[in-house]
Amino acid sequence: MVRSSGMLGEDGIHVDMNHLKTGEVNMAITFCDGVILGADSRTTTGAYIANRVTDKLTQVHDTIWCCRSGSAADTQAVADIVSYHLGLYGVMHEEGPTTQTAAGLFQELCYDNKDRLSAGMIIAGYDQRNGGNVYSIPLGGSLHKQPYAIGGSGSTYIYGYCDSYWKEGMSEEEGIGFVKGALREAIKWDGSSGGVIRLVVLTNKGAVRHLYLPDQGYKGPGKGA
Amino acid sequence: MNHLPQAWGRPRDDIYGHYDPSHLQTAGPNAHTQQPIVTGTSVLAVKFKDGIVIAADNLASYGSLARFTHVHRLRPFNDRALVGFGGDISDMQYLDRLLNSLDVNENYGSPGHVLNAQNLHTYLSKVMYKRRSDMNPLWNSMLVVGLDGDDKPFLSSVDLLGTTFSSPTLATGFGGHLAQPLLRKLADDESQVKDVTREKAVAAVQECMKVLFYRDARSLDSYSIAVITKEGGVELKEDEQLEGQSWAFADTIRGYGTQVN
Amino acid sequence: MTSIGTGYDLQNSVFSPDGRNFQVEYAVKAVENGGTCIGIRCKNGIILATEKIITSKLLRPGANRRIATVDRNIGVVSAGLVPDGRHFVSRARDEASSWRSTYKAPIPVKALAGRLGSYVQAYTLYSSVRPFGITAIVGGWDTDAETKVDGQVGIGPAVGSGGKVDGAKKGGPGLYMIEPSGLYWGYYGAATGKGRQAAKAELEKLDLSSGTLELEAGVMEAARIIYVAHEDSKDKDFELEMSWVSSVDGPTKGRHEQVPSSLLEEAERRAKKAMEGEDEETGSGEGEKMEE
Repeated sequence: MVRSSGMLGEDGIHVDMNHLKTGEVNMAITFCDGVILGADSRTTTGAYIANRVTDKLTQVHDTIWCCRSGSAADTQAVADIVSYHLGLYGVMHEEGPTTQTAAGLFQELCYDNKDRLSAGMIIAGYDQRNGGNVYSIPLGGSLHKQPYAIGGSGSTYIYGYCDSYWKEGMSEEEGIGFVKGALREAIKWDGSSGGVIRLVVLTNKGAVRHLYLPDQGYKGPGKGA
Repeated sequence: MNHLPQAWGRPRDDIYGHYDPSHLQTAGPNAHTQQPIVTGTSVLAVKFKDGIVIAADNLASYGSLARFTHVHRLRPFNDRALVGFGGDISDMQYLDRLLNSLDVNENYGSPGHVLNAQNLHTYLSKVMYKRRSDMNPLWNSMLVVGLDGDDKPFLSSVDLLGTTFSSPTLATGFGGHLAQPLLRKLADDESQVKDVTREKAVAAVQECMKVLFYRDARSLDSYSIAVITKEGGVELKEDEQLEGQSWAFADTIRGYGTQVN
Repeated sequence: MTSIGTGYDLQNSVFSPDGRNFQVEYAVKAVENGGTCIGIRCKNGIILATEKIITSKLLRPGANRRIATVDRNIGVVSAGLVPDGRHFVSRARDEASSWRSTYKAPIPVKALAGRLGSYVQAYTLYSSVRPFGITAIVGGWDTDAETKVDGQVGIGPAVGSGGKVDGAKKGGPGLYMIEPSGLYWGYYGAATGKGRQAAKAELEKLDLSSGTLELEAGVMEAARIIYVAHEDSKDKDFELEMSWVSSVDGPTKGRHEQVPSSLLEEAERRAKKAMEGEDEETGSGEGEKMEE
């Protein structure tokens, strides 16, 4: 995640678009009971860590969450708009919005405004009818349904790790292990990713947060923290 | 960075002089220049005596990164028309939704009447040309295949400029360079199509997919293939794997010239 | 209607002192003169049927259809002023397409009925418009298959999505009737138009609330009910028009379509036979006329 400041380049006139290209890592996976989202906590402005305990896991409805990467301002604006739509949908219709509803709304915003936005999103959600689902919306605004999705610049370091260790229908414990393992690798190799690991587990029981700290070897404090 | 919010995002007075606020006016030309981001590579198709065979691999690339590996780029429209998409995936999805609404609307006017591949191609060419004229192109090149109004095999292409082209064999993207010359050996012009059997056409397309996998750095060995005939409608297989690749000869290659071990 | 002639019935949106909007009530009168329309909510689908009165021998049989499709999975039929019905359908199609552009999925029948109810209701509020002279029956099937986002690519886990709850509500049939006031309810069986009383009496006999009536059996019942409802206007010729929607694994594959002609003919043949049988049985007796 990147703070929107330091826009001006050396010449004082050209907006430095490279400030958007820096990194982070986030991911979401399906498992036997639902989905798990995970992210690091680093926000950078160039090489400076503007925030070392960022929360990049954003709730847009009860059990529909997203991981944001790219411009912080853009992705927050998009998530806020979707959150508004889903809230409205929730009160206007008996059946709450599904992950598909959310993915459709995100996709429309990202596609229609592709010239103006720098937003990569992963949408993960759980509902009783459809179970856990993960969607990825990369830069151009296309929509991809996936068993698991990884995003952010740090993700390029873990394509191999994830492809090798991915298994369908994992237990919650295995799922958490997979996400944590992958994020640890990204944090290790990507200078733009770092800090703590935050997770959200979405199942029929609702949303549960987890936190894992680097000074505890990413072993704790764990659930509910 | 300047600590005055008023100065943010504007040229510095000490370097460029006083800022001319007239530059802030919103009127004026509107630029939409875009670039494809998540992309699919070639699509190939061949006519045979009573139908069409078309194929495209299942990869969506993000630059050189093979990012999404189960992307089906052959999108059936109905049981007599199908579109194969190359280029930007988000624009492909837009067109997919557009064609869906076209189908819904068509059904309102005359239930039961279906658009054929030729109708679809004409429609798509108008959409593509309109968008390029608005300086906001849809970054795709497509092959439209199926049956025309006389139930004859139909194959034609449209690209991001709205350019259309027809031939017994067609290929977009890298396939235009690598596959098209190979496919032309099957049918060089319309008169030869009657001698091409379904088996020959499928085999030729599969062979070309293999060549493309060898030589196109944005390709994948898993692909979709469809055969469209009057009798069988659209027979689409979306999880095919390339077979019979040739790599073992690598064993005979030593060094880059004179080396023997 | 004792207050008629007091001047409170001349303008839409104006209440009479006893709290009535006469223009709406007159619109209901227009509906009561229209051909009978019914909708049946079956176990595995919806059936819509209408009695299309033939006003001229110069009209081509089978042409000028009165049941319209909205999106792919919803049917609309209305009794009353035909042009009002057409405008209503056009609005329904706009709503369905606007829903798709926002949510990338087909509109649920319930949501469509809600939006159309609000639209019709708005035509009771202004003096510059008149209320709709129709009562519309909206029926459709919300898909029970795994929902997709329009245009999506890629696949989820091959083992399927984890954590699904068995018996969680998903899709199914929906049947709604919208009146000129904007009032709408969901129904197991709905009837409107001239023969609605007879049709309602027949629908009530079907025990639709148990949700056991099969679609094909429903087609037979619907045809028969339209024939029964036509008894009171026997002097006029009519055509039976019928459509249905089933689930994705049913006969219409989740689409709203005309009932195939072979099935329609069979249903009409049986309906006619049932009517003849009824004449013999009840012949002189009962002669119970449904009050208008």
